[in-house]
Amino acid sequence: MYLEVESLEKRYGHFAPSVSDLSFSLGQGELLGLLGPSGCGKTTTLRMISGLVQATSGKIKVGGQDVTRLPTYRRNMGVMFQSYALFPHMTIAENVAFGLQMRKARHADIAKRVESALAMVHLSGVAERKPRELSGGQQQRVALARALVIEPDILLLDEPLSNLDAKLRDNMRGEIRDIQQRLRMTTVFVTHDQTEAMAICDRIIVMNRGKLEQIGTPHDIYENPATPMVAEFVGRINRLEGQWRSDGAIAVGDSLLQVKDGGGTGRVLIMIRPHRIDLGAWGTASAGSAEENTIAGTIRHVTYVGDTFQYEVATTGGLLQVEKATSSMADPFQPGDAVTLRWKTRDTLTFSTEIAG
Amino acid sequence: MPKISRGFHALCIASIMTFLLAPVILVFPISFSADAYVAWPPSAWSTRWYVALLHNEEMVTAFRNSLIIAACVTAITLIVAMPAAVALTRWNFLGRDALTSLFTAPLLLPSIVLGLAILVIFAGYGLVGSWPGVIIGHLVITLPYALRVLITGLSTMPAFVEDAAGTLGADPWRVFRRITLPLMTPALVASAALAFIVSFDEVVISLFIAGTQLKLLPVSLYHYVESWTDPLVAAVSALLVLGTLGIVLIVERAIGFGKAVSK
Repeated sequence: MYLEVESLEKRYGHFAPSVSDLSFSLGQGELLGLLGPSGCGKTTTLRMISGLVQATSGKIKVGGQDVTRLPTYRRNMGVMFQSYALFPHMTIAENVAFGLQMRKARHADIAKRVESALAMVHLSGVAERKPRELSGGQQQRVALARALVIEPDILLLDEPLSNLDAKLRDNMRGEIRDIQQRLRMTTVFVTHDQTEAMAICDRIIVMNRGKLEQIGTPHDIYENPATPMVAEFVGRINRLEGQWRSDGAIAVGDSLLQVKDGGGTGRVLIMIRPHRIDLGAWGTASAGSAEENTIAGTIRHVTYVGDTFQYEVATTGGLLQVEKATSSMADPFQPGDAVTLRWKTRDTLTFSTEIAG
Repeated sequence: MPKISRGFHALCIASIMTFLLAPVILVFPISFSADAYVAWPPSAWSTRWYVALLHNEEMVTAFRNSLIIAACVTAITLIVAMPAAVALTRWNFLGRDALTSLFTAPLLLPSIVLGLAILVIFAGYGLVGSWPGVIIGHLVITLPYALRVLITGLSTMPAFVEDAAGTLGADPWRVFRRITLPLMTPALVASAALAFIVSFDEVVISLFIAGTQLKLLPVSLYHYVESWTDPLVAAVSALLVLGTLGIVLIVERAIGFGKAVSK
């Protein structure tokens, strides 16, 4: 493994630790997302990897070498800051050249590498301008070029897209991924936006309150969330409460639900994604099979948002959100309609221990 | 209505400016008076008071002394205040805010209190009337000013640029030289100008500490006015106003004075 983080912890004074017991490793060329709500410790983690924050305990290794106590300027990490942090008194070319000058590269060599770094981010024409003369998107490209030109061991991106408008954000996201793949650059990407993380990361760590909640591929995180927090953070989701039965089914209201790997005692939290639920008129469905769960309900509320209808459905187990794609033909259900909700057994997520949440 | 209020606005500003600046401007014509006493309007014009000034040995010495003192005070102020400002804004240590308040507190004290306190202490060490004594006394006033301006300059620096330089391989000294120092130049120029002007113009503390041996311009001027009423003072004042204006212009040319003071 190229980047290894072992039992990393950061404490400030006597407060609860900002980051604790964090371990993960990253292969060469992998893009890892650190995802979580603000204050979850993801930026602190990134700053510990870059050396801008000293870890209280734990180890950080790059290519087998322990860098935990190495100062930032000896670590060879390319960092892109949320605010870009370009040097306002230097031209774009000087900004990009800075890291190479610090490495005492030869003058001619510097000019050549700055030029090709700027070409890589499609900014060849602005080398002699000052950062304030550039748009936000351009400044960000400069920041990326500046971080990459030093050929860092690891690229660290701190919320790189959050200061851009929506359209530019999508473009830039793809571009960062392209460059990362082309250079096979081992990258850690901090974000609070789950779509962003899903779209470009090989693997994602979901963090909450300084701790790792789950690490896995975007697919894992979305389909098999380890905790209700992860399930709620990576997309919209319904919560129901039920009771385990001795036969491995769950009683919710007056319905019985099957789960993919059932079993448990006491109360249980059930989570289902709104768009995985199918809606049918009451009576059209056969009773629940082993592959499918059904529950009866009444439409409470319909919201039309263009690409989907969002229904609020009252069931004996509680309120459920259901999302259906619209088509020009479809005749949506009306409030008051009796309906059957149906979804796959494997889309029924259960959390036995977290019922209090 | 908007037009009237804008006209009124302009009138207000004009009258305030006149009120503030009229005495300063009046100094210039009076300094060219041919009369033997200050009177308005002068009965005739001449440059005799400028000539008299050049031949007034005490004034010339005092002017030279004040210049040297101000230059020393400015240099020491920057040398002391710059590392202090960096420490107070960049390092995290217990009592940092308390120290910042303490160092800038003299700004709030009446200078007569400071002057008296310094006199009492300095008298015991034979510093009254000496160059080091006056320089230290002035530093008490100039350091808080410079610290204030530099701390503001340092804490309004764009976020994370120093961190960014560190990640690019710059050690702390090179971060300071290549990033921090250039970005705080406006604040440095402003605090230098402030320190120089404050030291050069300081009357109260100089009055207490300079004694009778060491002549300083504001003190000599003060004593002169006590016993003479001729336009010589106007000539000195006119030169002072021009000098101050010169400094402000230099700062303005270099970085923009508004930016330097308020940034």
